[in-house]
Amino acid sequence: MSDQPPSETPASVAELQEQLRSAGYLASRGLATATLIGMRLGRPILLEGEVGVGKTEMAKCLAQIGGRQLIRLQCYEGIDTYQALYEWDYARQMLHVRALSESELTDAGAVSGLYGPDFLIERPLLSAIRAGSDAVLLIDEIDRADDEFEAFLLELLSDFQITIPEIGTIAASSRPLVVLTSNRTRELHDALKRRCLYHWIGYPSFDEEIEIVRLRAPDAVETLARKVVAAVQRLRGMDLAKPPGIAETLDWVDALGVLGTDDLDAPAAADTIGAVIKDRDDLELVETEFDRVVADA
Amino acid sequence: MPDSEPPEIVERLVGFGHALRDEGLPAGADDVLMFCSAVAELTPSDLEDVYWSGRTTLVHRRDHLPLYDEVFRRYFLGHAPPPGAEPFAAEPVSQGLSSTLNVPDSEPGAEAGDDRPMVLGRQASGVEIRRDKRFTECTSAELAALRRIMAQVRLEPPLRRTRRRRADPSGARLDIRRMARDAMRLSHAAPALHRLSRTERARPLVLILDVSGSMADHSRNLLQFAYSMRRAAQKVEVFCFGTRLTRITPALDRRNPDDAMRLAAGRVLDWDGGTQIGASLDTFIRRWGRKGLSRGATVVICSDGLDRGAPAALESAMERLSRLCHRVIWMNPLVGDHADIPPSTLGMMAAGPFIDDLESGHDLASLESFAARLAHVG
Repeated sequence: MSDQPPSETPASVAELQEQLRSAGYLASRGLATATLIGMRLGRPILLEGEVGVGKTEMAKCLAQIGGRQLIRLQCYEGIDTYQALYEWDYARQMLHVRALSESELTDAGAVSGLYGPDFLIERPLLSAIRAGSDAVLLIDEIDRADDEFEAFLLELLSDFQITIPEIGTIAASSRPLVVLTSNRTRELHDALKRRCLYHWIGYPSFDEEIEIVRLRAPDAVETLARKVVAAVQRLRGMDLAKPPGIAETLDWVDALGVLGTDDLDAPAAADTIGAVIKDRDDLELVETEFDRVVADA
Repeated sequence: MPDSEPPEIVERLVGFGHALRDEGLPAGADDVLMFCSAVAELTPSDLEDVYWSGRTTLVHRRDHLPLYDEVFRRYFLGHAPPPGAEPFAAEPVSQGLSSTLNVPDSEPGAEAGDDRPMVLGRQASGVEIRRDKRFTECTSAELAALRRIMAQVRLEPPLRRTRRRRADPSGARLDIRRMARDAMRLSHAAPALHRLSRTERARPLVLILDVSGSMADHSRNLLQFAYSMRRAAQKVEVFCFGTRLTRITPALDRRNPDDAMRLAAGRVLDWDGGTQIGASLDTFIRRWGRKGLSRGATVVICSDGLDRGAPAALESAMERLSRLCHRVIWMNPLVGDHADIPPSTLGMMAAGPFIDDLESGHDLASLESFAARLAHVG
């Protein structure tokens, strides 16, 4: 396996930030540094943070700027190697056997063909190994998978090779860029964390969030964007059970845009609050304070 | 490490790793190596690059970030503010709980204030006489015996079905994948039927113990109970509350029960104070419950339900808790041997509709029988 970084790796943190920016993602210096180190050293990057701060989006934009293919593995409880790695297409193999026996073809080639690429169903991890550095492998919400899967992943992420008994060992010619995300619903195993570069994505500051809205929703009126961001930042300070993320800010701007509203006042906020607050208890708390939430900055 | 790197810088970086380790941040040798390679890759122009390189390679947990910042500041900058003084989104800490320590004098057992639970191994003094035998009447020798027996309580945690399946001759579902594989390997012999069933795992268990003044007689024994639970089963989380909520799970992981108890006692700052059940449960839900700790879990609240907070707060917290977890069990020592008659304290009336099982836990026999039944109530 070559440890040579792909040629298109950005030369500096600033350059990577600039590239991500052109893809519509505003990366903080810390995030860009972690990513660049990960790209150079061929290490997976573990992104943790609250819901909706752009963890998954980061991987998508990385794929976009490098012209790489994005391979996404969404984790869930009970996920196993058949869904993550590969599976033989048994039904097709059976049909093939039937066809062979009817035409009485018994040469060795026909049998070994049964375990050829035609019958192998590639799942995300195998695709990523095959694609090598042409791919960004996004392992999304790893905290949802169970411990057994985490242990399996640990092995894969250290060697980037897998063994299929019928075919042999497949090793990645070059390492794909791996991004893992976690919402921190449970603590990940330390062994897995040690293999990764760690970065915590927090909520952005007011100015950063304005910048993000400008990038992602260029059509939004500037004054509206500022008011929405100010309101969202106030909501985050309100001790809600589920504080709104950046995704909610953008949804809110879009929702107001659909209604053709240029200003965020209490009635407009009341109409569109469903884009930001998605918990009944939180809603009750916010409803009493609309005037304060949408007050001028 | 490229040869061009002057060795002094490497020494400085490795020294930083050691400084972190001295402060208790687990930066392993491979982490430090990684840190040095990262710095070499970036050929840092200023200290900020070093800061971020270290943060991404040497820190593996969010909780360690403040410590990292502090050590970085001290090691590289003397005491100046950090280069990338990033506003770290702080986790919502104690949600403006009232910290007044009202010792409610109308409640039973309140006079046990002189029995500091920090001094473990000593026995509670000045307790009122009761009809049936309770923990508080035990001599210290008896208490030691109780502790031994409790540690031996073999806990069978409640199980839940998972999405994973395993081979099981009497399973309900056919393992088509395996049958097809066999059929091909064994030419055309009629395939044997293979079956699958769901695997089962231990449900998480969350214990929330009331250590306020009115529970002073029981809190130590409940702590011992929690300790034996934690030792007996996986996935057990323990919290204590009086006026505020404290997570004591890590403290209970000590092998020696007395050490564990002392550590746990040291973490809890509001022994024998007032009670804010609603606010404490609310903190639990916000900081831990919603993040998945109580999902599918059996939650056991050990409290007498004598609450100084607003009943409405308790009611809404219980309602949310009951929606988040699998089962809510309330252990109330006031129930005594009459589990069919719920105590009529205001707190219990507010929480009542959301409790799945009401248990007593006032003496060893009831705690033992509870532990034995736990597997089946879940």
